[in-house]
Amino acid sequence: MVGSRGAAIPVVLVMAVLSSAVSLRLSVPESGAADFGMVSGRAFLAEGTVRLLGTAPAGEPIDMSADPFCREQHDSPVMRGAVEVGPGGGLSQVLVRVRTAPATADPNLSDVLLDQQGCLYSPGVVAVRVGQTLVIRNSDATLHNVRVEPKENRGFNLGQPLAGIESKRQLDRPEIGIPVRCDIHGWMNATIHVLDHPYFDVTREDGAFTLPALPAGEYEIEAWHHTLGVSTQVVTVADGSSTDIIFEFAAP
Amino acid sequence: MAVFSWVGSRRLLSVGALSLPLWFGVSEARAQDGQSLYDIGCASCHGADGRGASPDRIAFDDPLPDFTECSFASREPDADWIIVAKAGGPVRGFSETMPAFGEAFDDAQLQSVMDHIRTFCQESAWPRGELNLPRPLVSEKAYPEDEAVWTTGVNAESPGAVVNQFVYEKRFGPRSQIEIKVPFGFAPAASDSEWGAALGDVGVGFKHAVAHNDRSILSLATEVKLPTGDVDRGFGADAVRIEPFVALGQILPNDSFLHFQGGVEFSTEPDVVEHEAFLRTAIGRTFTSGEFGRAWSPMLEVLGSVDLESGSRVNWDLVPQMQVTLNTRQHVMLNLGVRFPVTNTDQRGTQFLAYILWDWFDGGFLDGW
Repeated sequence: MVGSRGAAIPVVLVMAVLSSAVSLRLSVPESGAADFGMVSGRAFLAEGTVRLLGTAPAGEPIDMSADPFCREQHDSPVMRGAVEVGPGGGLSQVLVRVRTAPATADPNLSDVLLDQQGCLYSPGVVAVRVGQTLVIRNSDATLHNVRVEPKENRGFNLGQPLAGIESKRQLDRPEIGIPVRCDIHGWMNATIHVLDHPYFDVTREDGAFTLPALPAGEYEIEAWHHTLGVSTQVVTVADGSSTDIIFEFAAP
Repeated sequence: MAVFSWVGSRRLLSVGALSLPLWFGVSEARAQDGQSLYDIGCASCHGADGRGASPDRIAFDDPLPDFTECSFASREPDADWIIVAKAGGPVRGFSETMPAFGEAFDDAQLQSVMDHIRTFCQESAWPRGELNLPRPLVSEKAYPEDEAVWTTGVNAESPGAVVNQFVYEKRFGPRSQIEIKVPFGFAPAASDSEWGAALGDVGVGFKHAVAHNDRSILSLATEVKLPTGDVDRGFGADAVRIEPFVALGQILPNDSFLHFQGGVEFSTEPDVVEHEAFLRTAIGRTFTSGEFGRAWSPMLEVLGSVDLESGSRVNWDLVPQMQVTLNTRQHVMLNLGVRFPVTNTDQRGTQFLAYILWDWFDGGFLDGW
């Protein structure tokens, strides 16, 4: 994380869905330390961790015998319905976003990859900006179809029969939680998020996330997990201050 | 590839499976290439044998079509299959489970897959779907079909009349079709000039395609018209008529086509209703809005008939018309035209004609819009 942290101060905390909380620290960046840049006035970097309380569901082993190629790609069973938790209960694949951020466009965004490897989506959650190019690749030597069913955007269903084939799509409207699935391999599911601003991140394996710089003000921040639900907080930030916020999703 | 269905049968076609049967002269080499692509792109869902994958090998419930079933697999032209394979099932109002393979296979590859799919039907007796040409307003098609057609004609000149005809056609076997025609309408009675509803002469018919190749189809048919009509209102002829005819459908270059129908109507009461010979022909061309849009088929029909006993002059009519597909699946169509008498105009007036055609084998009337 970039920047030093000042003294913690209380913030407004709104517990949303579940008994969850997200850890979010807002801090004043050191001069020249941040890549995020100033939004307006003083900027605050945000980083945090999403955690799972309780025992993570282990899921059930997926029977991939219907497609020998898929079965041969894994030495051990792949679990369906498992919630992957990192050290300290860190919860990965959670979208953390500022709900109240203004829409901004950026024409110089790099492509985002949604791959299919070993008959699984990689990553399982991708977040893109409105208009950003999403590259959908099949790295498997077996047929996958990529069925994307948005509510706000235009859906599509691509047949990708060849290893290495790529298709590119751009989504035109902000939308959270677009389901992606393969109709041939029923265990293959992914989620696409589309946002119209840069103030978001998807948590890494340890549950950590990083948000770009934010100006001082009041923000509604949301953590969104595809099976555990949504948790929202309102955070008020003043100049020269920082804070720690803890969101924790309860294990089902 | 995965899945599209012609609704009537609720069967799904695999992406990538389209080729003319070898008996239509497609090269074996291209078909073999198509088989490789089919195995890669289609067999997972549609099965290597074209009968559809086992339910335990796929993760959807949509019923899959049987490509070996000629009644299903032969009806639609290659272009319709390829469009679905290229752009996905929804482009023709079929299952959303059928993905688009247009970014995986180019047009030539899709055609080769189509060629391979065509080989699943092993019976050469089934005329290819390309021969199912747009239906004119008056002339009979040579292609045996499963259709329902409601035609309405409005006489533009005094005393006027509104004439309707409902036609139900049912195909059976690879080449045969039966049909029933029920005319009805509204017209003033000759006796008292009062307008009223009337039934016309109900007809039943049989048609059989005696020959076909990849560009032509020739059928023989017979229709029997029963004297059920209201003669006083001009809806009947007061005699049984038997109408044998020959019908030809011909594919012409540049998406053009020709229909020909010629025959004789024999009357059981020639003193009351004369025998009549008739000739009907229509030429047209189909245009498509964009790559996947509506099909527009302007046609010009030429209709000729003559009473054989009296030796009266030949009645010649011209019928310019436009057929357009109404829905995404393109199995519901509208045709609008005008019938202009060219000869004997003192006996016959201009008539506005329109039909709604429902190719019911392809799905319910409200499906695929």
